Amino acid sequence: MFLQTSEIVQIILFAFFGVMSIAFAIYIVRAKNVFYGAVSLAFLGVSVAALIALEAPTTYGIYSVFHILLYVGATVTFLAISLVMFKDLEIKIVGRGIGVLAGVAIALLFLITIYLSLPQISIVSLKPVNFTTLADDLLATYWFPIVILIIALLTTLIEAIALARRD
Amino acid sequence: MIVLGLLGLVLSGILIGIGFYGLSSTTNIIRVLLSSEIILNSAILFIFSFSSISGIIYNSIIFSLFAIGMALTEVIVAIAAIILYYRQKGKLEVE
Repeated sequence: MFLQTSEIVQIILFAFFGVMSIAFAIYIVRAKNVFYGAVSLAFLGVSVAALIALEAPTTYGIYSVFHILLYVGATVTFLAISLVMFKDLEIKIVGRGIGVLAGVAIALLFLITIYLSLPQISIVSLKPVNFTTLADDLLATYWFPIVILIIALLTTLIEAIALARRD
Repeated sequence: MIVLGLLGLVLSGILIGIGFYGLSSTTNIIRVLLSSEIILNSAILFIFSFSSISGIIYNSIIFSLFAIGMALTEVIVAIAAIILYYRQKGKLEVE
């Protein structure tokens, strides 16, 4: 079975963004100044959004846009701007050996679990996702989690205002 | 393509490892928050990679949308807590 040219390009792009996401993640945990780490988190978010979109462009493209708009555009930007309020952003690394051991152990455990569970999954072909259908589903079936999310966002908004006004 | 789904699963495992390394190798609160964000990204990547193989499309998209919405609130609450801690202690390191 031979791959088509578009599929080869898709795999090359996926590998590129995969390497980029690993590099940005390593920079986040190794950077001496956490502000640069927060900026690097934005690039990691964009890389992950690209990876998700590349897995199934017609199906996951919608989510990728939301990931960039909501996560990178709001969360990471807020985090990076908030860090300007602190004076000493230089940090010290402690227990590097234990950290590497913990990271490798968790990653290995995770990969072994995936490997063992893969034969039990039935592989299916993906269908394109229509934005209208997704919006209808969100409002009709998942209205309660949306209400909870709105309340949570309002609460954090009030908290942020109260914190900003506090002397 | 199933190849990309499998690669995504492996990549999410690597990112989780890096995130846990960041969590356990520092005492800086902001670094801990950033490491937890790496783990969140890898979890979202895992959800989509897994669903691209098994075909659970709607649930993965909706679950991830709520996850990044809650991540936004989590970051705001965490930053507020860190600012209060910094005002009281004058440092970002925890013992």
